[in-house]
Amino acid sequence: MALIDLVTENIVKVPLKSRNKPDVLRELVQVLKDAGQIEDFDAVLKALQGREDKGSTGLGEGIAVPHCKTSAVSTLKLAIGIAPDGVDFDSPDGKPAKLLFLMVASPNLSGPHVEALAEIAELAQSKTFCSKLICANNAKEIVGLLKDE
Amino acid sequence: MSNPKKILVYVDGTEESVIASQYAICLASFFGAELFALYVVNTRAIEELLKAKIFLKDEQVEYEHDMESDAQKYLNHVDKLATKKGLTVSTQSRKGNIHKEIIDAIKNHDIDLLVLGELSRIKSRRDELYDEREHAMRSVPCSVLIVKDEDKVWDMYDSLA
Repeated sequence: MALIDLVTENIVKVPLKSRNKPDVLRELVQVLKDAGQIEDFDAVLKALQGREDKGSTGLGEGIAVPHCKTSAVSTLKLAIGIAPDGVDFDSPDGKPAKLLFLMVASPNLSGPHVEALAEIAELAQSKTFCSKLICANNAKEIVGLLKDE
Repeated sequence: MSNPKKILVYVDGTEESVIASQYAICLASFFGAELFALYVVNTRAIEELLKAKIFLKDEQVEYEHDMESDAQKYLNHVDKLATKKGLTVSTQSRKGNIHKEIIDAIKNHDIDLLVLGELSRIKSRRDELYDEREHAMRSVPCSVLIVKDEDKVWDMYDSLA
């Protein structure tokens, strides 16, 4: 499954309102809940927090990719958030995260999960493209940029 | 033109690849061809995730293990589908870069037909560049058959004696 197959306007939030990592995770999980992508909010949030406790998913350069496996979902779920002012995500370079890709997968979908994350890793290498995403004004622009990339 | 003698189906756990396997079983039966099924654990992608700091070392090991289990599960499924129709399939799980492993398997087994599941509709420019199955389709040295129309394939498989 290609990453773009998961991207729709209702899983994108611009801008994120939260100012710290726990709240941002909560806000993005709520995006999934509001989009009808998940049912068990608490189980998904707990799995994401559990992964963050092992080590930050802040990559540096203003990008974070919080992710986890949980049986609370049966497929791959993606939420994208833009925090123009940045949120401290304990990234290795100390820079606040502005572009967040949150991914949740069923434990029996390791292959597609890895491939979707690898696509995000590929995207994250383009500073120009990530800057364009961070500067987007709304969800429609984000979806358009991802489709044009 | 001669009939295919060795057919390889690429299995990745998607519904499309299972349908492709059923079609490949029908073809192998019809032509009396030898059938092979291949699953590639995409360790290249896992390594990229470790390099990009998305994965921790523990996660790399855990996901690789999970994907190896998936490989066995899906290859066993293809084996059962073939056995049900009285055919033998040689299954193989490999690790690495998907399209390169497919090419290598084709060369090693002297495959003359590669069967792939339906490719996703191209929705972004990136899809054209990074879809591993499409990359394989363009790069392999043998003919390639893309399987579509799930209902017809089911009928064909069901009617196979």
